[in-house]
Amino acid sequence: MPHDTLPAATGGRVASDSEPHPGGRVASDSERIETPSPGLDTGPSGPTRPTEQSDSERIETPSPGLDTGPSGPTRPTEQLDTELRGLDRLQTTAERRTPWWRRAIDGVLPPVLLLVVLVAAWQAYTVIAQPRPDLAPGPLDVAAALGQAWEDGRLQLAVATSLERGILGFLIAVAVGTPLGLLLAEWAPLRRALGPLISGLQVLPSVAWVPAAILWFGLSDATVYFVVLMGAIPSIVNGLVAGVAQVPPQLRRVGTVLGASRLELAASVVLPAALPGYLAGLKQGWAFSWRSLMAAEIIAFGGSIGFGVGSLLQQGRDLADLASVLGTILVILAIGVVIELLVFAPVERGMLRRRGLTGGTP
Amino acid sequence: MTAAPAIRLAGVGKQYAADGPVVLDGIDLAVAPGEFACLLGASGCGKSTLLALIAGLEQPSTGTIEVDGRAAVMFQEASLLPWLSARRNVELALRFGDAGLSRAARRDRALELLDVVHLADAADKRPHELSGGMRQRVALARALAQDRSVLLMDEPFAALDAITRDLLHEELERVWRETGRTIVFVTHNVREAARLGQRVLLMSSRPGRIVNEWRIADDGPRRIESPTVSELSVEITEHLRREIRRNAA
Repeated sequence: MPHDTLPAATGGRVASDSEPHPGGRVASDSERIETPSPGLDTGPSGPTRPTEQSDSERIETPSPGLDTGPSGPTRPTEQLDTELRGLDRLQTTAERRTPWWRRAIDGVLPPVLLLVVLVAAWQAYTVIAQPRPDLAPGPLDVAAALGQAWEDGRLQLAVATSLERGILGFLIAVAVGTPLGLLLAEWAPLRRALGPLISGLQVLPSVAWVPAAILWFGLSDATVYFVVLMGAIPSIVNGLVAGVAQVPPQLRRVGTVLGASRLELAASVVLPAALPGYLAGLKQGWAFSWRSLMAAEIIAFGGSIGFGVGSLLQQGRDLADLASVLGTILVILAIGVVIELLVFAPVERGMLRRRGLTGGTP
Repeated sequence: MTAAPAIRLAGVGKQYAADGPVVLDGIDLAVAPGEFACLLGASGCGKSTLLALIAGLEQPSTGTIEVDGRAAVMFQEASLLPWLSARRNVELALRFGDAGLSRAARRDRALELLDVVHLADAADKRPHELSGGMRQRVALARALAQDRSVLLMDEPFAALDAITRDLLHEELERVWRETGRTIVFVTHNVREAARLGQRVLLMSSRPGRIVNEWRIADDGPRRIESPTVSELSVEITEHLRREIRRNAA
């Protein structure tokens, strides 16, 4: 580190060069100052002021009132340090962290209360209006149907099967979608060629693939996974591409200036900066996985396909058991909510908090 | 000035398109090692472009640029990576710079550099927890981490309030005196240039040329409210106005 060892007097040495230069010491230029159009000068001292005092006087009497050593030797560093510290304290506010239990109550209480109110209203309706139980079952009927499915072991089996497929399918989609998204994000020609197709696939309901998948793969797990992947991969790819596109160009510039290689730039700057978009893509990818899975399970039934939640739904329909159908819908809904609350919400919240982007969210 | 200049520009011109406006024209400039040069000009005079050329971020259309080693750069925005703490941001520069330091050594060096800018206490804070002035000091520490003799600064304090800027001037001057870096400091603030520079280079607009130059006797730190700085500011402003008036014709 050769530069750090230079003596502090560097500046002084250079100063000696400056004497012979034109326009050097300011004092000699006062004549030039008074000549130009005086109206233009809006400087604090006014146009005429320089002529009222001789230059030597001004230089030699350095405003005694605020003098803490303007032209003297360097101020003690401790003084600057203290001032900077004071300013830093004034300009930052300590982040107030709400305790976790407080956040949990704030987050959990409102939806739970709403749920209780809705179920109570539903139960009140069935008690007061006395509708036909086979067309409008009450909450108790639905709970009983779910209890029955639990006792049979069908419910547990269905949830376990579907979750396994959903999670496995999602992970495969992440493994395929991430490199594909990176490739698209960093290679513009490919993005231009493939981008519209990926966006189209995202719009296409993945259920549309079920008939084709059955013809290709028969009634097997492959059919289910195919449909899940076709649902999830485009979302993940699109999320990642959008995330990379939104990386501020200034961050790339800084990376370049700091001497990052292409790979370092991608790994340490671009990818982390694209994380919010990527995470949004993952979230949507999971939603599409889960929806596609349910659709596939409802349509493709039998064969070597296992018994999932969609199958449970289809079974309820075949038996004209509305309580069981409603119960299954609630189970599907509940799984979606639980995954969101337990997996995506904490990850997202943590990421946003680390980046100071938590404005407005609880 | 007998030593070889840290930065030498000869006949540098820049034109983004063949039929586009000439942004820079015939810039000749030599900056001595350890010198603090301020590049002053109105908005759009090409001073940031000139800095980008010296930094190697862009290539000149004509002329040659020689820089002693590569240059470290500081921008108007701190441009810290928002997901990394202050210390990790500085470490990143050490890692990219291939200083060949181990992880622990990088950590120690980063803390040392943060201490230089009086931010040792804030090492584990993330950029959003820091004030604008603190962020710029982290950026300064990051630029120092690159350990290059030349430091280019593109209006680094323009977005700060006057009180903070005043203190950061003092801080920067102290760092400059301690480290002996060659600094090229771009600004549109006349007083800032008169306060900081040993040399103030005035640029004209369209095409950008260096039209005037002042050397300031360096007899220790100046204060921005000092008579020396005021007088120089008045004079430089007069020249700057003349340049601007010329453009109205």
